[in-house]
Amino acid sequence: MARSVRLKAGRQFGLLTSAALLLVSAAGCGGGFSDNKGAAGGSTGEVRMLVNITPNLTKSYWEGLVKPFEDANPGVDVKIEAPSGSGVKDTLPQLLAAGNAPDVVETLMADKVLAPQMLDLTNEAWTKDTPLVDQAKLDGKVYTVGVGQQAQSLVFYNKDAFAKAGISAPPKDLDELTADMGKLKAAGYLPLQTAGDYVTGLQLLQLADPSIATKYPDWFQQVNSKQVKLGDTLLPLLERYQSWIKSGYIDKNALGLKDVGAQTNFFSGKAGMYIMGSWLVRTADDAKPKFDLGVFAAPVEKGQPSPGPQGVTMAAPYMVLKSTKQRDLAVKLVQFLVTDKTAVQSQLSQDGNFRKGYTEKLSPLGKQVQDILDQAPKGVAQGEGYGANTLPSGFNGEWNKAVQSLYTGKSAKDVATRMDSWLGSKS
Amino acid sequence: MRARLTTLSMVGPALVLFVVMLVVPVGLSIYLSLTDWDGYSANPAFIGLKNYVNLTHSAEAIRAGWVTLLIAAVGTVLLSALGLGFALLVNGASRLNAFFRIVLFYPHVLSALVVGFLWSAVLGTSGVVNGWLTSKGSAVLPFLSDPKWALASLIAVLVWAGFGVNVVLYLAGLQTVSKDLLEAARIDGASKRQTFLNVTLPALAPVVTVNLVLSLVTLLKTYDLVVSLTGGGPAGSTQTAAYLILWDSFHNNALGFGSAQSVVLMVITAGLALTVARLRARADQGASA
Repeated sequence: MARSVRLKAGRQFGLLTSAALLLVSAAGCGGGFSDNKGAAGGSTGEVRMLVNITPNLTKSYWEGLVKPFEDANPGVDVKIEAPSGSGVKDTLPQLLAAGNAPDVVETLMADKVLAPQMLDLTNEAWTKDTPLVDQAKLDGKVYTVGVGQQAQSLVFYNKDAFAKAGISAPPKDLDELTADMGKLKAAGYLPLQTAGDYVTGLQLLQLADPSIATKYPDWFQQVNSKQVKLGDTLLPLLERYQSWIKSGYIDKNALGLKDVGAQTNFFSGKAGMYIMGSWLVRTADDAKPKFDLGVFAAPVEKGQPSPGPQGVTMAAPYMVLKSTKQRDLAVKLVQFLVTDKTAVQSQLSQDGNFRKGYTEKLSPLGKQVQDILDQAPKGVAQGEGYGANTLPSGFNGEWNKAVQSLYTGKSAKDVATRMDSWLGSKS
Repeated sequence: MRARLTTLSMVGPALVLFVVMLVVPVGLSIYLSLTDWDGYSANPAFIGLKNYVNLTHSAEAIRAGWVTLLIAAVGTVLLSALGLGFALLVNGASRLNAFFRIVLFYPHVLSALVVGFLWSAVLGTSGVVNGWLTSKGSAVLPFLSDPKWALASLIAVLVWAGFGVNVVLYLAGLQTVSKDLLEAARIDGASKRQTFLNVTLPALAPVVTVNLVLSLVTLLKTYDLVVSLTGGGPAGSTQTAAYLILWDSFHNNALGFGSAQSVVLMVITAGLALTVARLRARADQGASA
């Protein structure tokens, strides 16, 4: 009798659990695994935009940015959404899985994984004149449009320190750079400021862009197709970097610093150089260092034409999600954000980005960066890259850890082998 | 029938919550771990146990596993020992003890992210400690820039941030120790050490078990402090299993692989927690026999 009651109760529990599980699974998976086609929508309604929130790009900044668009389109409400995770990259999959995807996403660029979720903007005429639109094309299609570009291969330097070290002009090639480091060290400066976190690997990539792009014009394709070994292409620079650590040109304890700490050190005048992207201009303008701050393009290998190609990335990239129910409004909003002069100027100034024809409001340091961009023979993708120039996802993180291992006893050869092995595992 | 409906109406909401909060996420994780889901695609392909096979070949995941186990083992012992030690120190009923209890518990109230950033400002290469050392002409200590030091720093901060909970649990346990037994031990001439070892500690056995299991499970899931204190570095040396799961899932667009790691971590955590609980139960039985 007792057994029968237990069995009955067990069956009821099982049925109830199964029913609840089915119900919840059906609701929970409704968005994530469906292939939502979206809809054109009307001329009024809400457009949701997932954006990156930073100290420069606050939620109220974004709301102010889209206000003129809302005013020009009565009945349209642009809802700015901050990432619920640590950033846009991990928030978007969560929203997609929950069937609650935004209409527009900022920060990410289309790759083979993201593109199937994004609207093809190739036939939108206004995209043609937006920065880096051709470089960001994927299989000939436009998914991502941006406001401006960020120069990557920049070396910010302390002009006073250079003068005290007897260096009359910024170095043009990496041999000169190494020699200048020796002079800076002798003059009592830390030659090159770096940091742990993401900075270590990023700096070396930024420095590598001009020389690698000159030596291997189709580096991404050659590496992906195994025409050249990834490790072999990076080895000369890794060996050079290792020699800098050994010579004390880089602080061996720099990995214990975060990016802000490294910037503070550099702006305090203790270090001679700091490799970073053009977004540092905004920080430098605010920090107002007491020394004369300059910037030069990352040097090339000896014998290569100088200046070399400049690493560039798209600033404030936007994409419209294919699943949007407000396709027309979402596209109109993105068009406004990347073509309206006031909106563009605001975004460029707010985050220290660059675009041809928008030079009036640049600071003296910003003008130097614009000159570097103008003088570069071409702009090239960097690291994981974008568009047709892409390495497998995860390259930047793996590279960063690999470069950091140079500080913890690994050799340049070990690092090159590690990168080859990583790429092999992605095939 | 009416009785059944009444039962269902009472059990139903709790059951739905249980299913939504536990069964569905675990079931989905197991399902996703058998796919190549990148976080975006509408139709992830079923790839069987490939993610689990890849996991056994991933040097990074294996290293993160060992780091996690080390943190959990050392951290659990330290949390429990310090928790008990400080609980004994602040056990008496006085205003000073009440103040110290708040001070000891306070770090646990802070967000782990805040704690990490705070300690990175203290232990970083240009942090407070190294700033003071260099001002005295000493060399910088590599708290966060050397792999071994960084791991030790991470464990130390985890213990600092967490042992307040252990103190509170032990304090609660100490209130349950029979005053009669303590009095009897005192009358029999037992020293403080003997009283602690033979009366207090056996009476605290269930609390010790709870402390050990809670600390172990918490430390096996260490994530946010890694993000804010070491960022998994230097050179990935302080990456924990939970950190790597998030990294692989979202930075590397490998949610299927990340899910496989989650399932393995869940099984190991459950296994270790059950083992500790059983060992403690056996020890308790032995002590009471």
